[in-house]
Amino acid sequence: MRLRDDLTLRQIGNDYIVVDPSQDMVDMSKVYTLNETAAWLWKELKGQDFTSETMVDLLKERYEVDNEQVLKDVENLVAIFKEQGVLQNQ
Amino acid sequence: MTENNNLSSYDYQVADHLIKVSLPKGIVADHALPTFVDFHAVNVDLSKPVSEITISIEPHDEDLTNATLRSDISMTWGDRFRFYETEDTYVTQVMSESSNESWWMISSKDFSSSKIYAIRSELEGNSILGWLIMVTFAQASLLHQTILIHASVIEKDGHGYAFLGKSGTGKSTHARLWMENIENAKLLNDDNPAIRILENGEVFIYGTPWSGKTPCYKNKGVPVKAIIRLKQAPYNEMIWKTGREAIIALLPSSSSIRWNRNLFDQMLNSLEEIIKNIPVGQLSCLPDREAAVLCFNKVINLK
Repeated sequence: MRLRDDLTLRQIGNDYIVVDPSQDMVDMSKVYTLNETAAWLWKELKGQDFTSETMVDLLKERYEVDNEQVLKDVENLVAIFKEQGVLQNQ
Repeated sequence: MTENNNLSSYDYQVADHLIKVSLPKGIVADHALPTFVDFHAVNVDLSKPVSEITISIEPHDEDLTNATLRSDISMTWGDRFRFYETEDTYVTQVMSESSNESWWMISSKDFSSSKIYAIRSELEGNSILGWLIMVTFAQASLLHQTILIHASVIEKDGHGYAFLGKSGTGKSTHARLWMENIENAKLLNDDNPAIRILENGEVFIYGTPWSGKTPCYKNKGVPVKAIIRLKQAPYNEMIWKTGREAIIALLPSSSSIRWNRNLFDQMLNSLEEIIKNIPVGQLSCLPDREAAVLCFNKVINLK
């Protein structure tokens, strides 16, 4: 998978956001908020193809966490990415 | 005014940006654009125009067979409006109220140039031309750290106070309450002011030739003191917003087409800069004197 190339992560004060302007006739534009970990991961993943394993490896490199927890977190995050449509159509 | 064979060209300035408008000979500019009378450019230092707009009374020859319909929703024109995108252009259509003719505007992707195909009989005494120029300016100025916002603006003692909110929230009403209850409060604009980040970082707000139903067309800019989003409530209360929440407060009132990522990102860059420098508040309020006084006191007592 790959994060959509047209989306940009922005740091506003202490907040991390991604603004997704709706391309439909009706304006359903969205603002996503990311916590610090998700924002860091977003920066790492941006501009490249990746798998769930890439995400797990990145997180394990940076954080002291057990395997089971990381797998669960990554699974959740991928589900959110898909549900919110921030992944490139491939 | 300069002339060539068929056109007379006029320089206007909005938010200290130059707009060049070329009209067919025989059309009186101040009749075609009555709300622009105070905006004839006097500042010779203005360099390149942010947008050049040429008006034609010939039928348009743009090929629209491959155009994508982007929007048919307009607060101003109801179902008389269409907005299309082609490979190299954006196309704005406003249908005549009284005939089956249409106004067409063909704009470059960055809106640095637009050609307007007018209905001759509607060129004078009609607001369509001014509105199309607003559409062009709102997009073209994004590349020059300027955002046209939907707001009522009060000027008091050389500072600007902008009131934002959904249609029908009571922006104009709140501005009027300031004028009635706060000394020296005057209306700068009642619908579409422009916010501009100057080169020295200061944030200014300007009156424009577009002011909704209120005739208030002032060619004037003042530093912004605060931006307040209004929300109807059965009580009066001010909450200051920062970071993400401040952006979310400003986003729905800022004019950028959503289909051009470059222009949209420029708008976000400017909003980011604006909220770093200008306090953003949300005023839950009643349409009463207390709301205006509370709002004013909160803003004045900042810092």
